[in-house]
Amino acid sequence: MIQKKVCMIGASGVGKTSLVAKLVHSIFSEKYLTTVGVKIDKKTVAIDGAEVVLMIWDLAGDDDYQRLQTSYLRGTSGYLLVADGTRAITLDQVLEIQTRVAAAVGDVPFLLALNKADLANEWEIDDARLTSLNERGWKSFRTSAKEGAGVEEAFSELARRMIQPK
Amino acid sequence: MESPASALLEALGYALFLRDETGALRLQGAPPDWLGKLWPSLTKSRDALPLEQASPFLENFLFDAAECWSAGGEKRARSGPWVEPGDGAEVSLEATALTLNQQPALLLEKLGAVFEEKKSMLQKARETVIAYQRLNSETQKKEILLNCIAEEMNTALANAITSLRLIELQKHSPRTQQLLALAMRATEEQQALIRKVLHVFAAELEVLYGRDGGAAADASLGEAIQAAADVVAESFAEKRVELRLTKNESRVAMNVDQLTRVIVSLLENALRHSPNDSEVSLEIEETSEATTVRLLDLGAVLPNEIADNFFARGVAADEDAPPQLSLQFCRMAVENCHGEIGCTPRANGRGNCFWIRLPKVGAQ
Repeated sequence: MIQKKVCMIGASGVGKTSLVAKLVHSIFSEKYLTTVGVKIDKKTVAIDGAEVVLMIWDLAGDDDYQRLQTSYLRGTSGYLLVADGTRAITLDQVLEIQTRVAAAVGDVPFLLALNKADLANEWEIDDARLTSLNERGWKSFRTSAKEGAGVEEAFSELARRMIQPK
Repeated sequence: MESPASALLEALGYALFLRDETGALRLQGAPPDWLGKLWPSLTKSRDALPLEQASPFLENFLFDAAECWSAGGEKRARSGPWVEPGDGAEVSLEATALTLNQQPALLLEKLGAVFEEKKSMLQKARETVIAYQRLNSETQKKEILLNCIAEEMNTALANAITSLRLIELQKHSPRTQQLLALAMRATEEQQALIRKVLHVFAAELEVLYGRDGGAAADASLGEAIQAAADVVAESFAEKRVELRLTKNESRVAMNVDQLTRVIVSLLENALRHSPNDSEVSLEIEETSEATTVRLLDLGAVLPNEIADNFFARGVAADEDAPPQLSLQFCRMAVENCHGEIGCTPRANGRGNCFWIRLPKVGAQ
């Protein structure tokens, strides 16, 4: 069995913990509970017949109150960048955080999850922005921790990229 | 019989491990209850404790701990808080690596009330930030909507004026001509007003996002002040108000066009509050992190309730002057660059001080 460490990266309140809760425990809560520090969960996903155990490190949102500790990224095989699609500023924030993460961990697979896709009426991130990111080789998923849309797909795709030989 | 130190650790809920000559971490004293509940295998035996196997977080932290122990002395490494699933209820822990009597030590702490208090404060702070971001976004959407409405009205008024002009070309009774002229004048006045509104919208967007969609946040303060002074020179001369400038060569983290526009707006306001034949002084104070620009006038001191809200929405620059940026947008432009803006009475009780504090380039 292959085991891989995955880090959840993003600003506060974008839904990192909710995505993990949905993936691992199939639960969702509307109430926002901030993460302080780190919580680690485990989830096995099947990728092309192989079982991959994801050790998911849910890291506290990076903001003025708590900066991302790069020591938590040690040994990570990939990371999921999470932004809140209803707050465009969180995409700017995660792009900035990604530069710090890449400097710390180097060239490892990552994906972008634009979360809260269920709130379509409040969506603030336009397609042109995503097209521009796609042109840079970024793969993004619209996810909804509430409804589950895109959640397994995002983690499975990340797992697939992590086990692919370079 | 256990030592007082061991009893103290147990009472405080700490678990202390010391690294022996084999490199194994050994628990000292009686294990606290929470340790036994979390990782029973760690407390059953006094053999070398495979801490790194108990928790992937600890496994990761032991690398930082090893560095700390190599450095020795008073150096400490703290893991930061993390959560273990526990049996039913999650447990928040923090580890500290340190050297005790030249022996590597690892202290595990179950976080209690102080941590919960900190967590509660962070929760409130982050909720406030999110609420502020949402409010800001809503405000911007409404402003865009208002802009669209103004654009629509401008188009409708232009059509109305064209129609009135076409009607004017036909023969009418003197009374109808009089009414037509009245309608034309009223429509043109409305169009002029709408255009002024659109002009202000355009200026506001320009100051927020820059003409080029957000140019580099690196401005020469001296150049911006001189450019702003050139813009307002005529207005100051008209009122015979002397503008006293201070030379400065620092660079601040703001787009130069935005900075110039903000200083122009502040100078215009200082002038508005200044009596004829007086003076406005511009003073600069620097620290290693930030530069503060103060505009001091000799006008009537603003009451506190006005000074406190001076840069809130609705307070606009002189209506007689060409369309200026509203002071609220000065505030937004400055705050977008992580700066501050304010208005306070002068220390000597004569006049007001309008000020902006901007981070220096590289200090953000």
